[in-house]
Amino acid sequence: MPKNIWKSIKEYENDPEVLKAKLDEYKEGVKDNFTPDEMSSLSRRKFLAILAASTAYATTACTNYRDKGEIVPYVDRPEEILPGKPNFYASTFSDDGKSYGILVKTREGRPIKIEGNPDDPINKGKIPSKVHASILNLYDPERLTEPTLDGKEISWEKVNKSIANLLASSNKEIALITNPITSPATQKLLDELQAKYSNVKVYTTQLFSNCNRQDAWKKSYDSEVLPSIKWNKAKVIVSLESDFLGKEGNRTENARLYAEGRDIVNGNDINRLYTFEAGMSLTGMNSDYRVRLKPQKQYQLVMALLSELLKRGSISSSNFDSSILSSIRKNSISSFATDNNLDTKKLTTLVSDLGKNKGKTIIYAGDILPTETHIAVNLLNDALGNSNLYDYSKGFVNFGSVSSPNDIKQLVANMYAGSVGAVIHFDSNPVYELSNSFGYAEALTKVETVVALSEAVNETTKLSSYVLPLSNILESWGVHQTRVGSITLQQPVISTLYNTKQKEEVLLNWLGNGSDDAYTKYLKSYVKENVYNKGSNAADFNTFWFSALHDGVINVSSKINSYPNFIQSNFANANTSVNGFTVLLQDNYSFGLGQYANNGWLQELPHPVTKLTWDNCAAVSPSTAKELGVENDDVLKINIGDREISIAAMIQPGMANETIAIELGYGRSNAGTVANNVGVNANLLLDGSSQLYFDNASVTKTGETYKLVSTQEHHSLDEELVKDLHLIRNIIQEGTAEEYAKHPEFLKEHKHEIFSITDNHEYNDVKWSMSIDLNKCLGCSECITSCNVENNIPVVGKDQVEVGREMHWLRLDRYYSGTPDEPIVSVQPMLCQHCDNAPCENVCPVNATNHSPDGLNQMVYNRCVGTRYCANNCPYKVRRFNFYDFRDHFRDEYYQNELTYLVNNPEVTVRSRGVIEKCTFCVQNIMEGRELAIKEDEEFTGKDVTTSCQTACPTNAIEFGNSNIPESTIAKNREHNLSYHVLEELNIIPNVTYLAKIRNTHSEDV
Amino acid sequence: MSSEYAQEFSVVEGKPSLRSLDEIISKPLNTKPGLKYYLALAFTLTLLSIGAVGLAASLYYGTGLWGNNNPVGWAWPIVNFVFWIGIGHAGTLISAILFLFRQKWRTGIARFAEAMTIFAVITAMIFPIMHTGRPWIAAVWLLPYPNQHSLWVNFNSPLLWDVFAVSTYFTVSFVFWYVGLIPDFATLRDRATSKIKKVIYSVTSLGWRHSNRHWQHYEMVYLILAGLATPLVLSVHTIVSFDFATSQLPGWHTTILPPYFVAGAVFSGFAMVQNVLIFVRKIFNYEHIITVDTLEKMNKIMLLTGTMVGYAYSMELFIAWYSGVNAEQFAFVNRAFGNYAWAYWIMFSCNVFIPQLFWIKKIRRSIPMMFVIAVFVNIGMWFERFVIVVTSLSRDFLPSSWAYYSPTITDISLLIGSFGLFFTMVLLFAKALPAISIAEVKAVVDGSQPTHHEEH
Amino acid sequence: MSDKKLYSYTALFDTPNKIIHAVKSVAEKGYTKYDVNTPYPLHGMDDAMKLKRSKIGWVTLVFGLLGTASAVAMMGWMMTLDYPIVIGGKPFFPLPAFGPIIFELSVLFGALATVGAMLFVIFKFPNNSHPMHDTEYMKNVSSDKYGISIEAVDPKFNLDEIVALFNGLGAETTAPIYFDEEEVNYKPTILDKKFLGFLAFVAFATSVGVYGTMNIALYLPPFDWMVNQDKSSPQQTSEIFANNASMLQPVKGTVARGFIPYKFSNQPEQAGKLLVNPIIPSVENLKVGKEKFDIYCSPCHGYLAEGDSRLNGKFPNPPSLHSEKARNWSDGSLYHIIVDGQNIMPSYSSQLSKNDRWSIVNYIRVLQRSLNAKESDLL
Repeated sequence: MPKNIWKSIKEYENDPEVLKAKLDEYKEGVKDNFTPDEMSSLSRRKFLAILAASTAYATTACTNYRDKGEIVPYVDRPEEILPGKPNFYASTFSDDGKSYGILVKTREGRPIKIEGNPDDPINKGKIPSKVHASILNLYDPERLTEPTLDGKEISWEKVNKSIANLLASSNKEIALITNPITSPATQKLLDELQAKYSNVKVYTTQLFSNCNRQDAWKKSYDSEVLPSIKWNKAKVIVSLESDFLGKEGNRTENARLYAEGRDIVNGNDINRLYTFEAGMSLTGMNSDYRVRLKPQKQYQLVMALLSELLKRGSISSSNFDSSILSSIRKNSISSFATDNNLDTKKLTTLVSDLGKNKGKTIIYAGDILPTETHIAVNLLNDALGNSNLYDYSKGFVNFGSVSSPNDIKQLVANMYAGSVGAVIHFDSNPVYELSNSFGYAEALTKVETVVALSEAVNETTKLSSYVLPLSNILESWGVHQTRVGSITLQQPVISTLYNTKQKEEVLLNWLGNGSDDAYTKYLKSYVKENVYNKGSNAADFNTFWFSALHDGVINVSSKINSYPNFIQSNFANANTSVNGFTVLLQDNYSFGLGQYANNGWLQELPHPVTKLTWDNCAAVSPSTAKELGVENDDVLKINIGDREISIAAMIQPGMANETIAIELGYGRSNAGTVANNVGVNANLLLDGSSQLYFDNASVTKTGETYKLVSTQEHHSLDEELVKDLHLIRNIIQEGTAEEYAKHPEFLKEHKHEIFSITDNHEYNDVKWSMSIDLNKCLGCSECITSCNVENNIPVVGKDQVEVGREMHWLRLDRYYSGTPDEPIVSVQPMLCQHCDNAPCENVCPVNATNHSPDGLNQMVYNRCVGTRYCANNCPYKVRRFNFYDFRDHFRDEYYQNELTYLVNNPEVTVRSRGVIEKCTFCVQNIMEGRELAIKEDEEFTGKDVTTSCQTACPTNAIEFGNSNIPESTIAKNREHNLSYHVLEELNIIPNVTYLAKIRNTHSEDV
Repeated sequence: MSSEYAQEFSVVEGKPSLRSLDEIISKPLNTKPGLKYYLALAFTLTLLSIGAVGLAASLYYGTGLWGNNNPVGWAWPIVNFVFWIGIGHAGTLISAILFLFRQKWRTGIARFAEAMTIFAVITAMIFPIMHTGRPWIAAVWLLPYPNQHSLWVNFNSPLLWDVFAVSTYFTVSFVFWYVGLIPDFATLRDRATSKIKKVIYSVTSLGWRHSNRHWQHYEMVYLILAGLATPLVLSVHTIVSFDFATSQLPGWHTTILPPYFVAGAVFSGFAMVQNVLIFVRKIFNYEHIITVDTLEKMNKIMLLTGTMVGYAYSMELFIAWYSGVNAEQFAFVNRAFGNYAWAYWIMFSCNVFIPQLFWIKKIRRSIPMMFVIAVFVNIGMWFERFVIVVTSLSRDFLPSSWAYYSPTITDISLLIGSFGLFFTMVLLFAKALPAISIAEVKAVVDGSQPTHHEEH
Repeated sequence: MSDKKLYSYTALFDTPNKIIHAVKSVAEKGYTKYDVNTPYPLHGMDDAMKLKRSKIGWVTLVFGLLGTASAVAMMGWMMTLDYPIVIGGKPFFPLPAFGPIIFELSVLFGALATVGAMLFVIFKFPNNSHPMHDTEYMKNVSSDKYGISIEAVDPKFNLDEIVALFNGLGAETTAPIYFDEEEVNYKPTILDKKFLGFLAFVAFATSVGVYGTMNIALYLPPFDWMVNQDKSSPQQTSEIFANNASMLQPVKGTVARGFIPYKFSNQPEQAGKLLVNPIIPSVENLKVGKEKFDIYCSPCHGYLAEGDSRLNGKFPNPPSLHSEKARNWSDGSLYHIIVDGQNIMPSYSSQLSKNDRWSIVNYIRVLQRSLNAKESDLL
């Protein structure tokens, strides 16, 4: 208390009355010199004594004195932050040449979740799992914290000084190796660097690049800008060895547009997807017709299609030069079919479909296919007049093309020769990425100065003398452009946790600009010059800048290229010979190749097709497996020339025979505790060219076995006992477009009336329900990651997944029907169904799970004693039990530390060991909505409430809301002809409705 | 009344004097046990400590140490629970139901069987508590007491019914057992030589004076308790079976479970009692009190209940087929031919085929044969519970969530430990208390009852 | 001998038939206060003693029914009245589910009550200090003899007659039983030192035990109550950041959704020129303005903006807002001062939303007009 505190102005002015009053503080009656015995028999002292005594007795035994922790409020609270309320910052995530507009949710200045930025014109607020989970990398306990020289800490000043000197003084080549750059500003900086230090040479490496496609496009149309595709406009889509729904290009965009074309629920007619592929991909899973074909054969297929179309007169021969015409005429569907013993019927239907829908079809070749095939495909599209499905206004831009293998070879040679003074790894990891055949790692030892800029340890930092810690994406500024029409801005949402800098800032330092906010200034001026000044903006730059940061996106005028003509002269025949086993090397679905391998959430995310976690495998077709006598988990030795790896086999229905598909990005040797030695490093099979599939592989059984763990048991398809159970039990209900068109009520026909002996409870106020459109759900698993982040789902590790203890609240069930080699795949997201008559509730002895007035099946974690009875009695098996405190159990407490705790959502309880947990329909969001309604003093209808799986779903397959509002989508979907509940006959009245998948196949061959 | 006894064969062979009965029965209490006894005790204590280690570990690290996985939420611990509760059925059945049916032959074995009931129930009660995720809370929150959550327990839940059923069963059995012990304590008190024993027995005998004015009420109360215990013993396993029957898992959700559980319980209970008694009568020379005729009668009951169980197994299959529900049918086909077929056939052969040997009188009366068969019965009954609990869970409605269960070392240690605990208690009992009801046996020795024909 | 008080006179017989015969004749003689002790219940003895059938069954019935009632009452009250919850769509009074527990409690109550009644009501147990105890007689009847004892308090009690009668009936041995001196003269003292010591010990042990368990033992691993959450709630501490605060300042220059920064900071004249008051004064927003003004501005500027506040004299006096200068300020300038502060006046941007600020500006205008009204106001 300050000394001169006053109780009233009068006192402050030393009013005599007050002064007097102060002297005898008791009012009249009580004197200062009174004696206690004047007072009543039970004196105050006695009373107090008794009181004290009794309290003492009461308290000794029955209170606890545990420290409840202290409170640290804001000293001066920033205007925008209200403790307990989230803030959102628009920013950009970029990795491996792709960029996504994101909206970062922060609490009290700490990021806790990354969501898509709905204002992003390309991705429309959808982002891949990698981005969702990347928040964990910010709080990764193994991030690099200090710049080091040969392992010893060193100050940034020293580092920058010495490197700047090096750049200036050295007369040898200085190689700067980077991954593809998505930021024009960064690119500009690199140019400036090269301008200032002439001996700097920039190399760009990218393992999964679309250089063949670009090359082919340039040859076909002589245009740099690769257009994006209007998938939603296509009626027939033919994918040639291309997983455009799962991996290739901008998959979130592809998926969204594709799904718009599958919107049969709202009565639109739907597209038809043909897939020709060797590996079993997400796209293959979702296709109406799937044909197994090796990549080498794709070229012939295209030519065969062309010739058949010609024969049928669907396209006129006038489109083609004579030379091309002749090479087309060499092929024919029938011979092609017989050569590769394919079902001719499928091919002919395809041809007629293409013929019928000219201009409304798209043939799409995979990135790994050779340039010739791409050119042929362009030709086919061209001939079919599909070019109006090319969208130039959203075309792809890229700065600095990927260096060719020869450049790298040259570099390595120079390194050996000692003519390279320094190698700077600009946030890249060539030691792991590049094929061994370059001998890059050894070459590094010949270079005196090796610098690595990286956020976390990797194989390259290990071999570098200078290791400079980079800031996380969420700690950095930036501007990114990957598409013609839009530029996205990146702003930090938390100040750097460690002594890190962002790579651009480092470059600026080397360029001699040492100030702390150097890059912020640079960026601002860059945007001013190159964006603001170019566009015609009414507002002043500050306003422009603030609103740009606010939205995260700047739409720039993009002049539409007039559609160029196909250049026939560049057409060339591809080599189509195939010998022996083919090995396909593929990108992995979850974490790619970069720093995201050390992310538990991504490693544990089940593979969308195989459901494998914590491993990659050699996928082989059932019949090939039979020939080789291979079972699941048998370790195979795979040789291609002198390159060899040993990897466990997995029998994957739908694989092409004599083909093996392996995903890359695994087998990291120095990527951090989580990723080290997870899976097998298949990069060892790369031959240094840009090619990703190889013939003449020899495959032999080693006799050893290695346990692959997946979240779903593999029942062999021909096991009579379990075959097609999902169809028999009506878990999956499907139909064909024709059937549905004929009688739309086909699902409801075999429904029987169920009655209950008691009458159900009424939910008059709000009633939460969810509907999942299986026509749109592709099985991409992004909902799972988003849910993990939102709801503090722990990582359990391989050993626990092996005993079926993964904690995901939401899983994607994958079912095969049909034959092992030609399976029909069905996917079904399975989460808590919040049944009105929930079986789990009846059996809980302590009422830990019961029903809320708004129809939620709620789980009271701290009431739960963990009998697991509810889990047993749940017919959907969506309840998860904390067998351990997994944070404590995983990789000896890797994620149990003050830092990683910060990733947890403050609004969601962190479950301890021994309790059951499950999907809550994101009750925290519901409560937030309710609070708002109460604050605004309006009736809560829950129209704006969303679940995190819903917001994450790239195809908007998930609808959630208050089904008591009859006009709401959710209410309509529940009544829809295609709607059904899983295990309806149990009469537990689930609140999750599934909309049956409609396959767009011709009835005659279904 | 006496006329019926005339037809009855003599329960106690020979015509031992009443005092000699005192001698024989109280002998173990007064004499120092031999080396054999200590070896046996050492053995059981070893088993017990193995279990104790397993228990401590799973309490400290969590149920993750067990084999339980996602679909299979319940496994060995629950199997053990049901198994031991089952064992605990013979005792009260023998002392209550057979008492009501005036089966005099029960007197020799009643006391021991009752004791085994109590020990079995104690052993069983450990598992439901320890199998929970947070035992320290489960132990308390399962009781309906006013708490700071102002939340009550859920009386819909079969698990809660268990809590009441098992604890009631334990209490009543214990009271029943103790009431039976009072006169014997008095007898021991009056034979006691050492001061301490005298004090202990004086307290425990509650001042019993063998007064007929007391005997009169005592007999009535004993009859009433028997009357109450009879439905109780039938209810306990019925309610345990509700844990499964009232759930909706295919393979659990079957109305036949209650009777079939009770039959099974009696079946295994008798097997266990018979096993133990075979040793007891040898070691303490009770051959003429626990006679072969008695054992044969028990074997007959095993034959009966075993056949009932067999009937239940086949009826289950029929009903499943008859239901026409795929999940239901699959559950049972899967039991017999799925990935747990081995367990199913162990169960079937041990419980249904092997006991059929008891049709043969020779086998029924041959000590070694009946011992071996009873052992098989117990193995079979354990597997019955395993089959019901695990196979149903591991493959239920959605094929996507199926998984195979296999136990861990901790699971095994807990099972071993439970046997350790049970037999330790049995051994201590045999040493510390009259293993046979003195008063009851005296009452059925030939000529122990007045022959006053002028009455009738 | 003579100083001892006689309790009863007893005789022992060695066969069941003899004792039955003996009892009959004793009963005929009209003795009432006599008892028979046998090692096990003898059939026909009750008739011989002319005892009525035991009525203890009624206790079982009554308490059994009580059990039933209390079970229904308990579950009904807990689930239906006190805290009804929707559980699996079941009704709030799920009678079928109550069945098992109703049954169990009935049995439990019945059984315990019966045994209790027998021991403590009928047998008056525990009375381990009966004169009969530790007598030869008792030792025999608890093993293999059948005894009869006639109490001295019996009205027809006559020692010689009874001895004769017993011998006549062929008693093996006959003997008197006396009261135990100590038992008779025993006076219990509640203030016995041992007893008090015991009480003290129990009290101590319980409180230490309870405290230890409730406050220490139960919070050691593995016990987990989910009290300590591995996450950062508002205003919690965190070791990661400076001064242990888990709440951070946003990065300088960033723009959160819905919070476009104030762009005229440090440019008052710009603000004065360019800022436009978006709010047309209305009763509602003036109310808001007054409220906020009274809360945030009046401490210095005074309720009437005359600069005469309770702070007067403590600080350099805050200016009156009625000055010429203040009146001629544009709304923008006033707004700017609220946001940016001026001289020693701090920024109020984090306390006041945009709306509030403009409302306050409007309210200040009202105050100013109140002292310097225009003619137009007087109409």
